[in-house]
Amino acid sequence: MDYRKLIELVSVAKREALSNKLIDVILLSKNDEKMPSSLANTILRHWQSDTLMSESALSALLEAAVLLEPDKTASAFMELELTDSAQQIREAVSKT
Amino acid sequence: MVRFGIELVPSEPYWKIIYYAIQAERGGFSNLWITDHFNDRNVYVTLTAAAIYTSRITFGPGVTNPYMVNPVFTAQAVATLNELAPGRVVLGMGAGDKTTLESVGVEMQKPLTAVREAVDIFRKITIGESVAYRGDVFRTAGARFLFKPRGGIPVYVGAQGPRMLELAGKIGDGVLINASHPKDVEYAVNCVREGVRQAGKRLDEVDVAAYTSFSVHEDLKRATKAAVPVVSFIVAGSPAVLLERHGIDVGEAGEIREALRANDWGRAFAGVTPEMIGAFSVCGTPDTCIERINELLRSGITQFVVGSPIGPNVREAINLISERIIPHFRG
Repeated sequence: MDYRKLIELVSVAKREALSNKLIDVILLSKNDEKMPSSLANTILRHWQSDTLMSESALSALLEAAVLLEPDKTASAFMELELTDSAQQIREAVSKT
Repeated sequence: MVRFGIELVPSEPYWKIIYYAIQAERGGFSNLWITDHFNDRNVYVTLTAAAIYTSRITFGPGVTNPYMVNPVFTAQAVATLNELAPGRVVLGMGAGDKTTLESVGVEMQKPLTAVREAVDIFRKITIGESVAYRGDVFRTAGARFLFKPRGGIPVYVGAQGPRMLELAGKIGDGVLINASHPKDVEYAVNCVREGVRQAGKRLDEVDVAAYTSFSVHEDLKRATKAAVPVVSFIVAGSPAVLLERHGIDVGEAGEIREALRANDWGRAFAGVTPEMIGAFSVCGTPDTCIERINELLRSGITQFVVGSPIGPNVREAINLISERIIPHFRG
């Protein structure tokens, strides 16, 4: 799945809400062991520099969220009425 | 003006802890305390990550103990942290938890003496002294760092009982009072005051922190539900005198203790009453938490530490504290 491409499809107006939802998905997940440390560090560096709404940060958040909680990630997209993206996530996850 | 501290427990992976640490720093917290339990992630590794990802917040172990790790090694770790984040590092030292120590075969001998000697050794070696120490618990024969430590690291003593509180007032730059209720904190501050008096200091020279069990949410029921597990363990570990101070039935507390021993969490948590929540936590909506913090402030504390569970959703809780509670006390 090309996370960056998926994020590029999200309108700027919805990026803050998406960022918040993905952060919640990640922080509330119990599947901690699925988080690669390199990805965690990328997210923390973005958080440190307060750029969690940038495209590269959102791509990292999306990748982490899909790894930890694929169903909840798709639901988060649905809640923001990003139906096509949610469908793409579900399809990509079902193939793995 | 009261400072706000936050306790984070590295039972969570480092990236969650550091996310919350950055959030807390940005939200106006001045102190970050990372707990030190052998069965969680390592406190100093976690603090190292905190040092790298934050830039203002003061941090330290909250608290370590002199039994599990020799105070010379504690001094080495904390002095190294102080190179990484100069002037932002403090030491939190307490006697430790008897049950935890016993689980790894370590006996808690002479806790008052052990803490006093550990602090003494820590202070000497972190200013670069060669330490020849003949204490009742610790002995060193000219221990000295081969690097030049920066020194000046404040020491907070974690305490609950009257004698440890008095010692904390006597030797500490700060005191971490393990209590959440105004009655307990007031009693504790009086003990600290006595120690401060014996040392010829003034109380305002010591940072007196209430290290509370805290849970905040806009929905009182959710805040309370999150506090129940932590409160059940506090009740189970509390001496009768403390339970009686709050009018809590010692028998009910015993039943919770039994249930926890049997790993029957449902029964243990069901035994937690609203009175127990009130006695052993600061729990509720932001407004009710503000009321309770105001009561604690009247006891003379200078730092308020939000400890576990913080809230049903830690990220939301830190936001609530940063946006609703801390600004209230900043006027």
